[in-house]
Parts: sequence; structure tokens; C-alpha cells
Amino acid sequence: MILNKPVLCILPILAIVPIASNVFYDIHPGGINLLYNFFSSALNPSFESDVLYAVFNGLQDTISIALIGWSVSLFFGISLALITSDIFYILFKVPYSIKKFLKILLSIPRGIHELVWGLLLLQILGLTSWVAILALAIPYSCLNARVFSDQINALDKASLDSLIQIGSGPIQVIITGLWPKIFPVLVSYGGYRLECAIRGATLLGVFGLGGIGTELQLSTQSLQFREVWTSIWVLVISIFCLEKIIERIKDINKIQKNIKHFSVIGLIIISILLVISVIRLGGLNINTSININSITLPSVKSLLIAINNIDLVKLISQTLFISLLATGIAVGIPPIMSMLFPTSIGQDVIAKIYMICRTLPSPLIALLLLLFIYPSLSVASLAIGIQNMGVLGRILKENIDRNDKFIAIAFEKSGASKSSSWLYGKFCQQSNSYLAYSLYRFDIILKETAAIGVVGGAGLGWKLQESLSSFAWEEVLIIVATFISLTMIGESLSGSLEASLNNKKMQSFNPTPNVSN
Amino acid sequence: MKNLFKTRYFVLIFLLILSIFEANKISAKDKLIISAIPDQNPEHLNRMYKILASELADQLKVSVQYKPLTNYPAAVTAFRTKSLDLVWFGGLTGTQARLQSPGSKVIAQRDIDEQFHSVFIANKKSNLPIINDPNDLKILKGRRFTYGSESSTSGRLMPQYYLQKAGVENHHFKRGNAGFSGSHDSTIALVQSGSYEAGALNEQVWKQRLSEGKVNPKNVIVIWRTPSYVDYHWLSQPNLDERFGKGFTAKLKDVLLSFNKSNPRQKEILELFGAESFIPAYDYQYLDIEQIGRKIGKIR
Repeated sequence: MILNKPVLCILPILAIVPIASNVFYDIHPGGINLLYNFFSSALNPSFESDVLYAVFNGLQDTISIALIGWSVSLFFGISLALITSDIFYILFKVPYSIKKFLKILLSIPRGIHELVWGLLLLQILGLTSWVAILALAIPYSCLNARVFSDQINALDKASLDSLIQIGSGPIQVIITGLWPKIFPVLVSYGGYRLECAIRGATLLGVFGLGGIGTELQLSTQSLQFREVWTSIWVLVISIFCLEKIIERIKDINKIQKNIKHFSVIGLIIISILLVISVIRLGGLNINTSININSITLPSVKSLLIAINNIDLVKLISQTLFISLLATGIAVGIPPIMSMLFPTSIGQDVIAKIYMICRTLPSPLIALLLLLFIYPSLSVASLAIGIQNMGVLGRILKENIDRNDKFIAIAFEKSGASKSSSWLYGKFCQQSNSYLAYSLYRFDIILKETAAIGVVGGAGLGWKLQESLSSFAWEEVLIIVATFISLTMIGESLSGSLEASLNNKKMQSFNPTPNVSN
Repeated sequence: MKNLFKTRYFVLIFLLILSIFEANKISAKDKLIISAIPDQNPEHLNRMYKILASELADQLKVSVQYKPLTNYPAAVTAFRTKSLDLVWFGGLTGTQARLQSPGSKVIAQRDIDEQFHSVFIANKKSNLPIINDPNDLKILKGRRFTYGSESSTSGRLMPQYYLQKAGVENHHFKRGNAGFSGSHDSTIALVQSGSYEAGALNEQVWKQRLSEGKVNPKNVIVIWRTPSYVDYHWLSQPNLDERFGKGFTAKLKDVLLSFNKSNPRQKEILELFGAESFIPAYDYQYLDIEQIGRKIGKIR
């Protein structure tokens, strides 16, 4: 019983060992000054009117982009979820084979990170707000579709059947049978997705697609740390507010009592926000029509030459290495931290640190780390790991808070230390689902390496940047295809691993453990 | 219901924040969109291009808007997709953009761009010696070395060209590849901190940072200066005459070339650009850059 489940869950922390041993020898004092400057600027952000104006402007652009992309992805997510759910094929008597085809089709856009979508769409659409919006909307629609259709499929079929039996039409079944059951999930997962969209839009900004990410990147690159912190604080505060709003809306019981009311009000509010966002982005140039700029597609011959020239094996192994260690950090640290600091003050402080970690785009974390650590793959892992730790830490905490505390209290009363009562009383109930979730996280992190390659000049992410800046489409095509295949393999692997870990608790963990960002 | 109202309250605040700064709406009128590759700190670029935009607007009688960018290839793409009208490009990015947008015109360069240089800098602790013979760049093998942005002429293309000439490929550096810091300023910071032992960057930015006291000459030294090459230039879209009237491109060129230091605003612009004046520039000057770009694989 040494390898009981909570311990198994903490095992990923072992990833710290190679990283720590690498990084330990690589830390050097040369960047201490800069690092000190960075952290002391946290308390002394720039309040110059120019900076504030630019940051607020950027924030609004980012939020507008995120909102539009998110609403579009919700709409398509729900529609696509319906036509890929089992019930649809029963209701409308459509051949089942279409469903399989659709599911495979939808998994392709999902395999590409929104950043990669952004960089590709930029090549076709030029520098318009549409690029960022579509870059978010396309992969998110497919993610949402998968999550919602899983939820629909998990519903109790009997009640739907009885609706069909009494002669309700398909639309009626959907509205009266499905909608009320799906709506709470829609609210909680949808709300979470909006937050992802804001983070995604920020990252797109870091790569030049406008908004606060652009400000953040520009001031980081020129080491204007006080301005960097202005952006960070503004972002942290807005995400904090957003989380609070969502938390309030999320109260499932309240929603279930009044679904019609909530649906209508939600729709109205989203429409108002949408209109404002569209105006904000200058009407999105709808009337000037989108210019589609053709890029000459590479020939088969040039593709073959490119495959020969790219050292795919090396790039893939570097990418997998970065992702594995990053996942280890992201998964392993949160439970350990909670165990070390089980007091409520400790938890609060940690929660705030997580929040800053998940707000910072990973390329910026990487640049900061590089100031005092010699460049290596470990730095890249650390950067992505830290950002994802911020996400996982929060999810873990939310799920533990939702559980009952009696077992932990019982442990404590029986004389166990606070740490071990946290481990055995609280974490134990969650460990299986946490581990299953971690497997999914690996996939997300794999996609995210696209943002970080530049650090050590390594991995697929770096090669993608290099090929894009050389406008070598055949290479870009190969790398994107590689990314898609890797994430698809990862998805099926983690799917089967999850199945073997599966038990009832798993489903109680985070309504939608599989896909998030 | 009480909680519902509270939620609404939150949403309203959210709405309010969104609309507070709603004032600066763009009109539908045709504008000359100018931009630049992000080779310096944004504050500097913002100041520089805002003054330039108003000077151009006054002289050309059209409205001019500056659009900041954060990434070099995005500038090339945005030019190709006609999102930008007049862009301050580096040698490599300008050539990439010109080859991708047939008909675009090289308008002007600065006096210093005819003979531009990169510098190789090193952290003192690396004990790298001053290099006199370019073949001695070999000593950088096995060291931690960083370029700037992957598309930078002075921060990557020319340094890599001279390194290759001396027999140093990127995989010869420590850990199998050179770094790409993303900007000249980051290169200075990363070499100064010691994370990279050496790096290469734009000589003009280096000199500016030295004079501003942002570099500690006790920590970082110049170990080599490249021979001269042509760099930055203004590139304009082929359709400006159609959009803004006949002879617009020529007029634009004349205005840029007429900048001199006796006019206070023009003086400020030139100083921010680090130049005495703008001079005419021509496509053929960039043939070498094109060739080197092809050799290194940045132009296909």
C-alpha cells in the first residue's frame, strides 16, 4: 500500500528532480538585479497616463476579442454538440456513420492550439481583429462540442425516451428534455471557457495580434518592469472580477429553479456585451469584406524535401520532454503546496500566487526565468509548468472545497497533523479524478509548447516560429500536422488511461475534466 | 431574486468599464496606416511614430495612423495583406515584404542605413577575447550565444552570415542551438545577466543604450563589429497613388527626404530615428541581403 492513490498523485512531482538538478547548476547570480527590479516593481507599477491609457485600451480589445470568440464558440459548440450526440440520431433518424465522421472531423481543429490558429489565420486574413476572434472561436467550438455532447450522452435516456413516447417532436424534446439538464453545465463550463478565452486572447496579443498581450510583450521585451506590472495587475484584477461573477452565477441550485429566466437574461446580457465588443473593435470592418489572401500551397515535392530537412525526431522528442516535465510540475506542485500550507491563510496566499501564475503568458515567464537561469529545455518546461500549475491549483482547490470536510476534521480530531489530515482527509477523495485530469492536462501542455519554443531554440514550437518567419509554408504544414497527430495520439492514450482509472468519483470532479485550457 | 440583482449589478459594472474609454472611435475615412518592425522599446516607438504621423499628416494633408506591432513576421504579413501602407522595415523583413508584394516601393532610408553594423557583445565573465580576424569567431563554438528576433537583419541575419563564414553553425553553440531573445534589448539584458555568454545586436541600439547608461560597460563588452551592410528602409504599398491621388508616393518620398534639423519637429523625429537625415534608397541596394537571406533560409 505504499503506492496508494494520493501518493500516486504526488508522484508527478518527481519531474522536479531532473528540472531541479538541471536548473540548480544553471542558476546564476547575474540576473539578480533584474529580478529584484522585477519583483520590486510589482508594488510600484507605472501609473503614467500614457501607460494606463494603452493598458486599458488593450484590456478592452482583449476582452472584446475574447467575448466575441467565446460567444461564437458557445453557439457553434452547442449546435455541434447536438449533431454529434447520440440522441440527435435517434430523434432525427440520421444514419449513425455521419456521427463518427463528424467526431473525427472535429478533433482536427481541436488539435491545434489557438496561438497556431492565430499565426496561420494572420497569413490568410491579414492584420484584422477577425484573426484573433476566429483563432479562439474555431478550436473552442470544437472543444465545447465535445464537452457538451459528452454531457448530453451522459444524460439519463429514460426521461428523454418517455418524452418521445408521449409523442413530443424532436425540437420539443430538445427544449424541454435536454436544455434544462444541460444548462447548468453550460453556465459553469461556459464561464470557465470565457476565462480561458481571455487568457487565450492575451497570449495572441503577445504574438502581435493586439490587445493587452501586445502591451505586455512590448514592455517586457524592453524590460520596462513597472509597465509590465501595470498590465499584469490590470489583467489579474479583471480575471478576479470575472471569476467572482461566474462563481455567483454558477450556483447550480439557483439556476435549476429558474432556467427559463436565466436563459433569457443570459442571452440578453451576452448580446449587449457582444454589440459593445463589435463596436469597440471598429465594427470589425464587416462592410469592407474580408480579404482572403492566397498563399501558394506547397507542392508535394517541396513537402518531401522539407520532411527530409526537418529533424522531426529531434523536435518531437524535445517537445515531449518539455511537455512531460511541465506536466509534472503543474500536477505535482499544487497538492504538495496544499500539504505544506494547510492553514486557511496559507491557502489564500497560494491561491493568489496561482492566479498571477495563470495570468502571465508563458513566453513572458520564460523570458523572466532566462534572466537568472542558463537557457535549456528545463527553462521552457518550467515556464509552461508554472503557468499550468496556476490552472491546476485552482481546479484542485475548487474540487476539494466542494467535498465535505468531515473526514479531514475527523482525522485532525484524532490527532493527525494538519498536513496529513489534508492529505488523507481531503485529497484522498479527489486523487483519482485529479490524476485522470492530469493526463488530459498533458495534452493541453503539449499544444501549448507552440508558444514557448523560442526559449532554447528547441522543439516544434521554435521550428514553427522559424518556418513562419521564413514564410516556408511546406515546413509550416508539416509542423502543424505533427502537432495535430501528437495531440490526437495523446488524446486517445489519455482516454484509455482514464478509462482504466475510471470510477464514480471521477465524474464528480470538475463537470468537464477532459478539455480545458 | 436578490442574488440575481446582485449579479446584474456586477455585469453592469463590467459594462461600464468596457464603455468608459469608448471615445476614440475610428472613422471610415481612408487613412495612411504607418507602422514599423518592433526593434526597440515601445515607448520610444510610440513617441517616434506619433510625431512622425502628425508631421506627415500636416504635410500630406491626409490622416495618418500609427499601428504598433510586436512581431517581425506579422509586419511582413500585414504588409502583404495590405493592412499597412508605409512600413519601416529592416533589411531582411523589407526584402521579404517586397518579394511578397510585387510593385511595392523602397522609398527612403536613414543616412546611417547605407553603412550599418552589428556588434557582437560578450559578458566579461565569459573571458571571450576581442576579435580582430572574423575567422576567430570560431571561439564562440560551444558557448551560450543568442540572437535577437529570428527575422532581424542586424540581430540575426548578418551575425549568422559572418558566423557561418567562420565555420560556426547554430548547432555548434552550447546546448545545440543559439537562443532567440526576441529583441535587441532582451539580448543586452540576457548577455549582461550572464545567461548567455555572448550575443549579437544592432549597433545603433547598443550605442543608444550605452549613452543612456542602461548597459554596464564593466559587465558587457563589444568583442566584434561586423563589416557594413545596408539595413532599414521605408517600404510603401503600390496602390497609394490610386487611393490618395496621383503623385502621392513621390510626394511622400519628397517629404521624408526634406526632413532637416532646422525644423524643431523634424529635428525631434530625426533624433528619435538616430539619424541626420533620410536619403533616397533603391531596391538594388538590397540584393546582397536577399542573397544572404536565401543562403540562411529566411527567404525562400
